[in-house]
Amino acid sequence: MSERDWELMKDAELDLALKNSIPELPPDDIVMEVTPWRKAMNRSLAGLALTTITLNFLGLNYILPAVGVIMMLLGFRALRGENGWFKGCWIITSVRTVCIFASLILNATIYQETVYASRLSDVFIALNVAMVFLMLFLLWKGFRAVQIKAGLPAHAGGAAAMIVWYALVCLLAAAQYTGWIILIALIFAYVLIIRSLLKLSRELDEAGYAICPAAVRVSDRTLVIALLAAVAAGIVCGRLFFNSYPMQWQPVEISGDAGTAEIKAELSGLGFPGDILNDLTDEDIKACEGASRVFVETNFYSADEGRVVERVKDGVIYNETVYDDNLRITGVAVELDGGRWKIFHHFRWLNDPGACGTESLQLWPAYHLQRQEGWSAVGDVSGRLLCETDGRTLTAPYYSLGSETYDYDSVFWGTETVTDVFAAFSLPRGGESCRGYVTYDMVKLQDGWMINSWINYTHQRSWFLYPAVTADEYRKSGSWDLDGSFILIQDALQFFPDDEDAEMPE
Amino acid sequence: MHESELIGLIKRRDEKGAALLLRHYAPLMRYIIAPILQNEQDREECVSEAAMRVWDKIEQFDPSRGSWNAWLTALTRNAALDKVRKNKCVVPSEDVPNEAPSSEPTPEELIVKKEREDAVREALGRLPVQDRALFYRKYYYLQSTAQIASELGMTERAVEGRLYRLKKRLRKTLGGEEHE
Repeated sequence: MSERDWELMKDAELDLALKNSIPELPPDDIVMEVTPWRKAMNRSLAGLALTTITLNFLGLNYILPAVGVIMMLLGFRALRGENGWFKGCWIITSVRTVCIFASLILNATIYQETVYASRLSDVFIALNVAMVFLMLFLLWKGFRAVQIKAGLPAHAGGAAAMIVWYALVCLLAAAQYTGWIILIALIFAYVLIIRSLLKLSRELDEAGYAICPAAVRVSDRTLVIALLAAVAAGIVCGRLFFNSYPMQWQPVEISGDAGTAEIKAELSGLGFPGDILNDLTDEDIKACEGASRVFVETNFYSADEGRVVERVKDGVIYNETVYDDNLRITGVAVELDGGRWKIFHHFRWLNDPGACGTESLQLWPAYHLQRQEGWSAVGDVSGRLLCETDGRTLTAPYYSLGSETYDYDSVFWGTETVTDVFAAFSLPRGGESCRGYVTYDMVKLQDGWMINSWINYTHQRSWFLYPAVTADEYRKSGSWDLDGSFILIQDALQFFPDDEDAEMPE
Repeated sequence: MHESELIGLIKRRDEKGAALLLRHYAPLMRYIIAPILQNEQDREECVSEAAMRVWDKIEQFDPSRGSWNAWLTALTRNAALDKVRKNKCVVPSEDVPNEAPSSEPTPEELIVKKEREDAVREALGRLPVQDRALFYRKYYYLQSTAQIASELGMTERAVEGRLYRLKKRLRKTLGGEEHE
């Protein structure tokens, strides 16, 4: 038969010629490939293996369950028409796919920690565990049903062992077991069980020819692409729309209060910086009425990643990273009558802060650091944010401001429960002269104590963090492993108020 | 049960071997037969016929030429096609002309067939395994588009599209365009 003959054949003739020209003995790889069972079952088992274990590095705790649940979904989708047990597996896997993908999207938002810390999360965990148990049971029954249908003795010990194994893992998790011996034994048992399940799947190859995969309306490839596109779109939306706090920015109301103007003039005369004075609320200005002394300390910081500058020294060209100051932090202490002091910590971005999401202020007031011996708190901490946009001055309250008790994992002292004042907020994109302050009142208990008041500003530098972490959470976690995504700037106002010769630091 | 034990039993003409063959390999045989024979009774008769052929021709099984499953597949398929010829039935496979090949080929026809087989084998060898498997499903296993689609997790339309492209590629390869 000439080559031209093949070209000239009509479609029907070509079909017949191809049919009659196939070698009688099919190749082994084709015989292995052509089965209704192996692909579906291998996908389901591989998915089961990937979703049962959790590896907390390189993002595998997110990638493996996502890949695993997709594989299980495709596997059980093909097997769902075979018997009710596999159909049950498919339904449960579909629900788990929605849950896992929803959690992947949730992780891209700053609300993930809040949701995981709620009771709702406990309910979801319990439901997930129940679904896994039910699915393992249905899988075990499904294996047996296939064997019975093919006239083979029913046995699926691997699947039953997986149920016991998972029950043990849940018990240890409930008991918060952290030892290594049982853990290593469980990992070893897990490997053996997966091996046993794969062996069982191979044994079922002969019975698997009896199954009838369900027809699909959407191809596997389209389904996978749609799922990945949905989760990618969800993550992008999470980052775009739920990456920062909803702040209530509104135009600043111009104060016409004559009393306030008088107090401002007095404070200004005592050395209170004018631009900071203009940022204070009328209430805070009025609270400074009758001030006798003002101490001010200003520092400049660089919060960016620096810029590389080429320099020449002795004929040698070298690169140097230069850090430009772009954040000014000012501490102001105002002495009032009766041994009272009002402390202000004010920050101002000198250029675009490159707001990426969230910011956090942690306050260590003077009365907090000196353990209630030298100073005592009067009232609560207050403050506000300001910025310039389109020639208008906008102001907003902090998203949250107040004392919070949390577990801090200290490098030196281990985990300890501490209480600090935190102010959480987000700055507007494109806002100019972004600034804000926090202030508190205190009263002197004993002479001889210095005023030592700290503010820790945590600035987010990276737009994409997965899972999303707020500056507040980052600071409270004491984490060191976010690879420059955040920068911590610490500033202190420190002086001895009883020293008559005390001078304002420059 | 390992297949070598089964083969040993059949070779020793132990009837237990025949029982084990049907017990473990009847699903495979039915899977091969189902797309070729529509009638349930024909199918069951064909399973018995294929099992008889295994019993009779077990000495011809040569592991160096292919696996046990491949040999069993070929034997079962031939039994089903013979049944079709015997029944004077048509092969109800979509898109495939229902012409049963002549049972007595002439020497010239045999030479042409051998040439075609070599050409097709060579052309198939150039295809990725997924495409080869699709080709075998359609032209060797004679599976319907619906069956192929459900087993591969595809829509029937997607299967038809892939088969169309595959045939186009084979026509080109067999027509010698890629040799030029």
